[in-house]
Amino acid sequence: MTFCFDMERRRLLTTAAALGAGLAAGFLPLAARAQISSIAAPQPDDAESDRIAAEFLQGAVPLPQGLALDLPALGDNPAAVPVRVHLTEPVDEALFCQELIVLAQRNPRPLICRFRFTPLTGAADVALRVRLMQSMGLRALARMSDGRFLEARADITVAAGGCGM
Amino acid sequence: MSRPPRIWISTETPARGEIVRVRAQIVHPMETGFRTLADGLALPMDIVTRFRAFLDDDLLLEWLPETAVSQNPYIEFTFAALRSGALRMVWTDASGDFAEASKTLTLAAA
Repeated sequence: MTFCFDMERRRLLTTAAALGAGLAAGFLPLAARAQISSIAAPQPDDAESDRIAAEFLQGAVPLPQGLALDLPALGDNPAAVPVRVHLTEPVDEALFCQELIVLAQRNPRPLICRFRFTPLTGAADVALRVRLMQSMGLRALARMSDGRFLEARADITVAAGGCGM
Repeated sequence: MSRPPRIWISTETPARGEIVRVRAQIVHPMETGFRTLADGLALPMDIVTRFRAFLDDDLLLEWLPETAVSQNPYIEFTFAALRSGALRMVWTDASGDFAEASKTLTLAAA
């Protein structure tokens, strides 16, 4: 008997919750949603991202080590996906990372951002939040002061694509 | 900008050579230029184009965000504390340097 009552209560609760969510979604942002749309289109392939990477590398072949690109397994909010890029090898004033780029391969504009460090920085460990158009691969490329290039890649699934950028 | 940047710093009295971690967030719309109004008019692009961190007047780090960086940009970075000084952070968009924040760093006596 108690069991039946509990089930009934649960069903009522979920119905009420669904109604509430429906009301909130239906009334409040409807005006805004009708007025603003997006012309952002994802890249059909990695060509644009590869072009930017090639421009950065200037013919060099990056080493798949020394750099780490940390992403969550699932980007539950595609408008703010946490990304961390850091060097896994120690740096000092003689050997440091000069420049770092992060690429989202299928975004309308694949270059997310660029970092420049100086011998004074003494570290290369950065984190930021990015907007992603869809599930895709990300790349980080670093140019070291000794002329080496380091690379890290990671894939991410985002919960809902087309965040409108 | 009406709201000042939010800054967190792991320590203001680091030991010499200690890695200091900084987190900073600024209020900014980061409009990509992709979004359009009902009449088809695109909302003009308005993004933070540059962030710089200085120790006194020496550049520690320069960050050049593009459109993929989220609204109200958040940045976290580290640096090695080699001397005392003022950690100064400057945000730039199309309107120029629109926000600045500063923290005083004092090396702990060894």
